[in-house]
Order: sequence, then structure tokens, then C-alpha cells
Amino acid sequence: MPSHVQELRVEFASSYRRFNCTRRFSPSQKFALGAIDGSASSSCQEQSSQDKAVKNEIDTLNFKDPVRKLQATISSLPPIVFAMRRHVGSNFAIGLCIATAFLVMAVRIYMVRKSRYSRPGSVADLVRRGQLRSDRRGISRPLKYDDPFNNPLVKVGKSNTTVEMCGKVYRLAPVTLTEEEQTIHKRRRSRAYQWKRPTIFLKEGDFVPPNVDPDTVRWIPANHPFATTASDIDEDLAQNNVYQQHGVPFRIQAEHDALQRKLEALQNDQKLNKLVIDSSNAKDFERAFKSHSKPLEHGEESFSNDHVGNSKSSSSEQPPNSFGSAASSEEMQKP
Amino acid sequence: MISLQFLTTPYPPTPLKPFHSPNTLKPRFPKPYLPTFTVRSVLQWNRKPQLAGETPRVVVITSGKGGVGKTTTTANVGLSLARLGFSVVAIDADVGLRNLDLLLGLENRVNYTVIEVINGDCRLDQALVRDKRWSNFELLCISKPRSKLPMGFGGKALVWLVDALKAREEGCPDFIIIDCPAGIDAGFITAITPANEAVLVTTPDITSLRDADRVIGLLECDGIRDIKMMVNRVRTDMIKGEDMMSVLDVQEMLGLALLGVIPEDTEVIRSTNRGYPLVLNNPPTLAGLAFEQAAWRLVEQDSMKAVLMEEEPKKRGFFSFFGG
Repeated sequence: MPSHVQELRVEFASSYRRFNCTRRFSPSQKFALGAIDGSASSSCQEQSSQDKAVKNEIDTLNFKDPVRKLQATISSLPPIVFAMRRHVGSNFAIGLCIATAFLVMAVRIYMVRKSRYSRPGSVADLVRRGQLRSDRRGISRPLKYDDPFNNPLVKVGKSNTTVEMCGKVYRLAPVTLTEEEQTIHKRRRSRAYQWKRPTIFLKEGDFVPPNVDPDTVRWIPANHPFATTASDIDEDLAQNNVYQQHGVPFRIQAEHDALQRKLEALQNDQKLNKLVIDSSNAKDFERAFKSHSKPLEHGEESFSNDHVGNSKSSSSEQPPNSFGSAASSEEMQKP
Repeated sequence: MISLQFLTTPYPPTPLKPFHSPNTLKPRFPKPYLPTFTVRSVLQWNRKPQLAGETPRVVVITSGKGGVGKTTTTANVGLSLARLGFSVVAIDADVGLRNLDLLLGLENRVNYTVIEVINGDCRLDQALVRDKRWSNFELLCISKPRSKLPMGFGGKALVWLVDALKAREEGCPDFIIIDCPAGIDAGFITAITPANEAVLVTTPDITSLRDADRVIGLLECDGIRDIKMMVNRVRTDMIKGEDMMSVLDVQEMLGLALLGVIPEDTEVIRSTNRGYPLVLNNPPTLAGLAFEQAAWRLVEQDSMKAVLMEEEPKKRGFFSFFGG
């Protein structure tokens, strides 16, 4: 018995708690409560039957009458005004969340934009870090020329008689030089300095070439530290060199050609030496030599062909033709 | 120092007029449609000098005496011209004692010189050193220290150079500025050969003036008509105390139009040692501003109409007592 009661009581307690939450009591609930209250004085059987009845009642209350439950729920809700009053705090929280979200978005966009301009190593980044001065570079900012006659550091006074430069005021005086004075000076100088620009430079001790005005000769001392009258290059060639806009400069080309010629000469010598030393494959060499009989015009091509031909021919019988062997042949030739 | 026009211009002076020389950039649209003040407000900031004369303008910067500031003038005027948007080639024609590369901070980038070009070791475009700060400025050195220039060609080599620069693919430079060596030797003759105008640098002392007069005489005999002078290292305090000739005195003695007056400035030495020309300094210095103004006049083939005399005490404002 006590277990039932306890069970019921537990159940009742739970349901009561629920009711308590809603804080409203319907008449049927009151009946059930009354039945429970009166159950202490009745017998066990009655009690059990009553308990069942109450249980059923509660069951019907809980599960079998959703309409009533809905009604109860609706009636248990407070009026809207009170509900609004109660949710003022939560509205504020929602607003705060939205504002925070917007703020975060704005900050993020700003950061992204900022990072776009300040990539490590970019001009803007270098300027920001003080590695570069923005005003000294044409590429970081378009050139905006400040007028040297009218800027914050140069100001002319209202009456045009003073000028303020770099914080100091200077008095201005008009220039009084006239055209007549200038011509007088010119005439004086032309009288004083009779001069003809020298067009020929000669070392002291040289003979003056014929059909040359001796006045136009400039004599350069033989021990002049920086100037020399001797030149290993003729005038036309020098002029061409100055005018040259594309291609390999003259001297580089000449040196290259000379080197090439030397190399090829070396090759030919080597072949001949080989021919002398090793007469067994003389025919092969002769053929190779004939096929490249105009080596001066050929560039590296002929050299490489030679090289390949040699290595092919020598691969069977001889050690490959290399610079080492060339050197040795030279050494042999020298004594 | 400012080229004031009130002496020559027919129209009455206005606060802005002094800055405008007659051939300054003018609005191309018809005047009635645009009020004058609008034009001025536009021009105040982005005004540029208008190039006078035929390009390339070959200017030799010379002086008889050494140490008066030829190389400093070349570097600063050259870079000012480059800042103004003109393409400039500066030729250091000092055969034995070149220094222009040092002043420009380009000494480590000079690999080839004109001697190598003449000898055929390199092409002309390889010998031109482009300044990284202002890419329209290029330096060309005649020779390396201790190397000998074949004087057999005389000034012909420089004439060829000018012709070659004219015929360049990227176009003819607007200015070719030649830094002349001191003296009137073979180097001087070589340097002045291709020039069609000259800037004579002098200081307000008698030694420099005598040499300058001689050099002007030689230049005039050579047929260079357009000669202007720059008076360098002027100290207004000494002029006031009558310890130094004034700029007007110098002009009276030489009888030349003034291109610029450069006041003595300690920043010159600093900039020389740093390899950073004055005109690029920020904030600008007194001498730097004077060089820029001179470059402006050079472009417009203008000359000074008024010169700085002495310093006046600055008028104090009403709030000067409070540090205003």
C-alpha cells in the first residue's frame, strides 16, 4: 500500500509541480486533489480503486484531452503586454548580437582591405615600415610637382618687395642690367680675348700637318696626366662605335672572332699533328679536314662538328680528341 | 631670387603674377568660359614650366675656377629638370677628376664610360646609367679615373655622342647637361664643343670673377650666345656687412643675365656626402629651392628680374607674444 501511495504521491507531486508551474487549477484537478486528500482515512481497497480512478483522471487530463490542455496552456499564458515587458532584456541581447555581427563583418572587411595593400614586401608595406620614403619614389605615388615659386616655404610679400623663404624674410631688389650694358660687356670681352677654338690636338714636338691653321692647334704636353693624343682606333671606327645602337660592340666582336680563329687554328694544328703522329687513320682525318676546309668563316658550328667527327673516328682506335690531348700535342710540338 | 615680372610686364602686378613668367603653361580653352581665378587655383599646384627652344638643349655648365659648384649645380639642376618631367642626360666631361657620379650616389653603377664606347667595348646605351629615383635622368661619364681620353678626336667625340643621343630609339632627350672641368684646357674645349648654351657658375669673389670673365670671353668667341650665370654661395649677412659683393655687383662686373642665386647652405655639404642631391630633400632646403627655381628658369629660357638682398626682421604677429 505505501508503495502505491508513494507512487501516486510521486506522480501527483510531479503533476502538481506542473500545475504549480502553470499556477492555475481547474475544477477537475481540484476534485482529484480532494480525492487524494481524503484517501488517508479510507480502506486499502477503496484506496486502490480510488487511486486508479485518480490515475485515470490524471491520464485523461494529461493525454486524452489535448484541447483542454491547449486551452489550459493558452489561459496560463500571461497577457502580451506583460510578455513584452518581460522580453525587453532578450530583445536588447538580440540587437547587441546583430550589432556585434555587423561590427565583426566591418572589421573583417577592413582588415582584408588593409592586408591587400600591405603585403609584405610591397611598396606600401616598405613605406609603412620606414624602409622607403614615399616621396622619393615615383612609383608609389604619382608625381605631383610642387611649384618652387609658390609653396608653403616660398611666399612673396604683397608689395612684391619681399620674399619669405624657409621662414626668413628677404628684401628683393630689381635687376638693373640693361641690354646696352650687356652689349658693352660683350664688346669689351671680344676685344680682350681673341680666341679660336682649337680643333686639332697635337703632342708637343709633333709636326703641324699641312693645310691646318696653326691657331687651331692645341698643344698637349707629353706628360699630360689624363689626356693622350695617341689613339689606337681610327676616327670613322670610333664614330661608328658611338652610333651603334644594337648588336655586339665592335671590340667584343673582334676579340671573339680572334679567339675563334685561334681556336680553329689550334684545331687544325692538332689534326696535322695527329696526322703526323698517327698515320694509320690519315685518310679519315684528311676527309674531315677537307670537309671543313674553310674554318675561318665557320663559327662554333664547325668546331663542334669537328669535335664530333673526331670523336666518332677516334672512338674505335684512338682516345677521344680533347683539349688535354691538344695540349699534349702542343707540348710535343714545342721542343 | 624670384623672377618678378613687375618691371617688364604691361599688366598690373597681382599677388600671383610674379610666379608666372610670360611663357608659362596657359589654359588652352578659350578664356571667356573660365573665370581667371579658377585657372590660377588649378595652376598653383600642378603648374609646369614650358620648354623653350629646340630639343635637345645642350647646356654646358662651366666656370673658370675650380670648386665653385659646377658639379653640384649640374646634379641639382639636372635632377630638378627630371623632376619637372623632362628627360635629361648629364655628361660628366671632367676627364681626370670626375665627381658627378658621387654627388648623384651612382658611383657603384658606373661600369662603362665614353672611352669604352669609343673603343667599342660597349654600346652607348650600356654606358648610360639610369637614376632609379627619377628614371628620366641618365648619367654618362667620359672616363674612369686614371684612364686617358684620346684627345685626338677633340670635341668630336662629344658631338657624336649628342648625335647618337638624338637618334636614340626611346627618343631624343630634352636636356643634355655637360659638366665641364675647371680651367680652359683640353677638357674645357672638349666639353664646350657640342653646347649651344652655357651656364656660368661663379662665387661672389674676385678670383672667381676674373676666371669667369675669361671663360665668358672664350665661350663668346666660340659662338655660344646664350650664356647665363649662377651666383653660388651667397651670404646675405656678409653682403649686408659689406664683406661680400652683392649679386648685383657681380652682375654689373660680368654683364650677364642671372639664372639663379644660390645661398650658402650647410645642407649642400651634407647632401654631397650622402650622394643625395639637395633638390630631392624633404623638407626642401633654401639652396635646394633656389636650384629648383634656376632649373625652372632654364627650361623657360627666362632670367631673374629681382634678387634677394638681405634678410629683414620678420614682422611679428599680434599673437607672437604667445608663440604664434
